[in-house]
Amino acid sequence: MNNILLELKNISYKYKNNLILNKVNLKIKSGEKIALLGKSGSGKTTLISVLNGSIKPTEGEVKLFNKSFEELDRKQKRKITTIWQDLRLIEDLSAEQNVNCGLLAENNFYFAFKNLLNISSFKKAHKYMQLCKLHNSIYDKKINKLSGGQKQRVAIARSLIQGSNILLADEPFNNLDPKLITTIKNLLLENVDKNNTKSTKTTLVALHRLDLLNDFDKVIGIRDGKIFFNIKRTNLKKLHLDKIY
Amino acid sequence: MNKLKLNHTLLSFLPILVCIPLGYQLITNIHFGGFKLFQEFLISAFNPKIDNEIIITVINRLNETILIGFFSWLVSIIFGVIFGILTSNIFYKIFNIPNFFNNIIRVFLTIIRSIHEVVWGILLMQIYGINFSIGIIAICIPYIALNSKVFAEQLENIDYKSFESIKQINAPKISSLLTLIWNPIINSFKNFGLYRLECSIRSTVILGLFGIGGIGTNIFLSFQTLNFRELWTYLWSLAILIILSRLIFKKIKFNNTNKVIFIFLIVVFFTTILFSFSYFLHFVFNNNLENFNSVSSLFKSSSDLRFLDFLKLILETIILSLLSTGIAISLPPLLIGFFNNNTSKILIKIFAFLLRLIPTPVILLTLLTFNNPSLSLAALTLGLHNAGITSKLLFTNLDSQDKRNYIAMKSLGISKKTSWILGLFSQQAKSYLAYCAYRSDIIIRETAIVGVIGSVGLGWQLQESLSSFAWQEVTIVLIAYSSIAIVGELINGKINNSLT
Repeated sequence: MNNILLELKNISYKYKNNLILNKVNLKIKSGEKIALLGKSGSGKTTLISVLNGSIKPTEGEVKLFNKSFEELDRKQKRKITTIWQDLRLIEDLSAEQNVNCGLLAENNFYFAFKNLLNISSFKKAHKYMQLCKLHNSIYDKKINKLSGGQKQRVAIARSLIQGSNILLADEPFNNLDPKLITTIKNLLLENVDKNNTKSTKTTLVALHRLDLLNDFDKVIGIRDGKIFFNIKRTNLKKLHLDKIY
Repeated sequence: MNKLKLNHTLLSFLPILVCIPLGYQLITNIHFGGFKLFQEFLISAFNPKIDNEIIITVINRLNETILIGFFSWLVSIIFGVIFGILTSNIFYKIFNIPNFFNNIIRVFLTIIRSIHEVVWGILLMQIYGINFSIGIIAICIPYIALNSKVFAEQLENIDYKSFESIKQINAPKISSLLTLIWNPIINSFKNFGLYRLECSIRSTVILGLFGIGGIGTNIFLSFQTLNFRELWTYLWSLAILIILSRLIFKKIKFNNTNKVIFIFLIVVFFTTILFSFSYFLHFVFNNNLENFNSVSSLFKSSSDLRFLDFLKLILETIILSLLSTGIAISLPPLLIGFFNNNTSKILIKIFAFLLRLIPTPVILLTLLTFNNPSLSLAALTLGLHNAGITSKLLFTNLDSQDKRNYIAMKSLGISKKTSWILGLFSQQAKSYLAYCAYRSDIIIRETAIVGVIGSVGLGWQLQESLSSFAWQEVTIVLIAYSSIAIVGELINGKINNSLT
């Protein structure tokens, strides 16, 4: 059975004459938990942006569910969610309104309207905010009033509430203390869908800290836009890390 | 860094040099025939006419003014929001519509914005005759375009990353648009919307001077009959209205979480759109369009306007704009900086308020009591009125500014005036100049009003051409006006970009 969800074939991406990704080939299977390692500026964020379809590669082919992004309908596109390194929250909205934005895709225009008027139900948003250990005193606070760690968790809650099968996260543990890192890592990697039932979730997380690798199945190492290794976590050796750092 | 700030400071003061040629012409044009009238005008300010009859007239006329001002404000704000969205890049990005349509709407709005509401009013009066709706429509036409520009600029500031994140969620397009634009629109309305009501009331007064109705008409009639006490009764009642409206606006707090107010506003929004469309159709199809035939002869009528005369009028309009802008930029910082004590500040604030309050045609007519009509007099009038507006902004910004630099400089023994310029004003100079660049757009449009009264530039020619039904000339003058305003807007946009 072909259970490949995401596939990159010979992907290159150029920005202002700089080659950011260089002939990248990658296959991500359903249920895999992948850690993406690499120095700052190695191409991790660009790789994630290509995987979620937000940037088009200069060369090569990206396939999600064996289809190109152009062929996907909105329902299929919703199966992929991203936690951005720069969070990309809407500063003018409150924390709970931002989390509710994650539900915009599965709801109609009226829901967006109610969300902005603060008359929609925030029950679900609050549930995910609690899971991310956000205190209820910040639910109605504007984003610019929150600390870096709180913003980070609002962005994570917004992604999780979407209940997508594929989760891409770009350095999601920034600004978090060690206890919160463990909680958030478990949330990102656990196989639970939006209805709180067991399901298969595929996760790719870009990170720097090697001590967080133990729950991942695979590790991908990237340097100068090239994948240097794509191996099982148990096979990871110092030699591999030396190649990318 | 200091050098850069000093440059902006210098640039704020240098335009006062326009006063040299302007002052020379004003002095040579002075006559003493009307000094007594001018004196009477000033004394009447402290002795306005108050009796039952005039109070009833004031109430009735203010009612008309408020109605015209309020409805034109409501319609222009709502359609301003709609056109603001339609001319913002975010709309075209979300719906994947080619930017070509955006450019077409923008050009159209720029053209109708470039023509002053008084010109629209005079044109519409020629076609439809005088009625209540003319005032509303004349104000709405340029105001919709002006408001749409402000809302569109606010929407251009939406963080690109917010747009990307919403796009990534794959929400319905209309939900994405609403989520992204909601708060910028609400914030623009809070910061700018209520101020526009004051502008609408001022415009209603000015249109009144040209016969549309409301208190403006009475102001003009009082002036014509030299009944200055009555004139000041109308002016002071207008001042009370403006002060009261400001106090009410200060009390109104728009809280994003106040659901009842927002639902009410949404109902008002859609009702106004429906009402405006139906009223507009009713107005167009139920009016006697006999006069409209004269418009259809637009291209048949001949023009007696010679090319060189026309160029002279264009040049006059440009010089008038430049001289007025010079006064509007430099006079407020000079006065505030030179008379830098609390009593002087209060006096300057009162003077500035009066300059804003008294409609420009009335200021001009008052100055004409002791000076012959000239370009300089028109420029002085327009410059003084706009200096009243720029000084208000400068006072507001200076009051809210951190004064530690100023205090530190004074404690070093530096003179009060120098400390004010270097420690206080220099930090505001850049944003002040940016606002003045925007203000000069409005000054170009306003040259039409003083032109009509002061026999200067294209404004005067427009009045002449309209009076003789020379529609071809009217068209040429309007095109020239639009072109000057559009070029001015482009230049000011560049200046503004370099300053912000």
